[in-house]
Amino acid sequence: MAHQAHAFHMVDPSPWPLTGATAALLMTSGLAIWFHFHTLTLLYLGLALLLLTMIQWWRDIIREGTFQGHHTPPVQKGLRYGMILFITSEVFFFLGFFWAFYHSSLAPTPELGGCWPPTGILPLDPFEVPLLNTAVLLASGVTVTWAHHSIMEGNRKEAIQALTLTIMLGFYFTALQAMEYYEAPFTIADGVYGTTFYVATGFHGLHVIIGSTFLAICLLRQIQYHFTSEHHFGFEAAAWYWHFVDVVWLFLYVSIYWWGS
Amino acid sequence: MAAKAMAGALGRAMLQRGWSLVSTRESGSSLRTQHVLYRAMGIGGIPTDEEQATGIEKMIMQAMKTGKDPFNMLKPKEYAGTKDDPHIVPSVTNKRLVGCVCEEDNTAVIWFWLHEGDAQRCPSCGAHYQLVPHHH
Repeated sequence: MAHQAHAFHMVDPSPWPLTGATAALLMTSGLAIWFHFHTLTLLYLGLALLLLTMIQWWRDIIREGTFQGHHTPPVQKGLRYGMILFITSEVFFFLGFFWAFYHSSLAPTPELGGCWPPTGILPLDPFEVPLLNTAVLLASGVTVTWAHHSIMEGNRKEAIQALTLTIMLGFYFTALQAMEYYEAPFTIADGVYGTTFYVATGFHGLHVIIGSTFLAICLLRQIQYHFTSEHHFGFEAAAWYWHFVDVVWLFLYVSIYWWGS
Repeated sequence: MAAKAMAGALGRAMLQRGWSLVSTRESGSSLRTQHVLYRAMGIGGIPTDEEQATGIEKMIMQAMKTGKDPFNMLKPKEYAGTKDDPHIVPSVTNKRLVGCVCEEDNTAVIWFWLHEGDAQRCPSCGAHYQLVPHHH
């Protein structure tokens, strides 16, 4: 039985925070070494260590929660707060790039021709692929909600179907965006337009990939019966993150693709 | 009739917890619909906490079903604090620290150790506190 007089989780000692910190060190110094000495070894080492850290740390959390029952109501509440705070920090991250975009686009300098889009820039038509991308992400928001309700109602088949559909839509977005990047008439080096466009949409695309991965892990867990109809916070966290990614896209679309054209 | 009864929140709750509606008809009699306990794996395919919770999460879940709150997750119950209705203070050992906020909004909290045995009184307002030890 429990040998603790409280409902919280005193986590066993773990090496993953140390390996994660080491990975951060290797990635930052690796980046600097790459810039100056043109060798990627240290950076790759850091990325590999990061990947291993994430896999093992989150694997341990699944073991502690699903298999050992440590995720009591107060623990789950803490996890919820944690995810909300993390997503909030990501909101601020993107806020910075939107600030940069609006700073440059609301008062375009003479070097740009005093106009936005700057002289010589052919912006993407917002009513072509970008609009399709918007529809794809909005649809994926619907399917992830469908998946959630399926889980809560105990419907395994539909939960798996809806989650799979969500992930496929995520991949479709990534593929479309990759094609757009390849075909676009401007690059990241094309003035402040290129910078703001590719940094903002690029980080968003990275978050789509992260979100799709998170959902894919949830799909694997759902198939392996980890989630119950009442307790499935890993899935909820993935769904929150996915909705956040969707909302960021909507702001990107309206600001950069539409207004910015 | 049974189907109507099961259309409400209770019916949904039962279906969630692994109960299923089964209709049978014995020869000559009318249709009889009753509840049969299946594991949720049998109907929807997604397990419930009832079936799958483990460890301390399960222990807490089962305790809360019987009205117990072993880890003080909920707000303490309200008592009058008189001799006949003392504040009941659960404890895992034979003593527990009590902090009495004698009147609402008091900023000076009166702290004292409450020991096993007879009820003790707050040194400031005289409210009665009774330790109830229970061991896991």
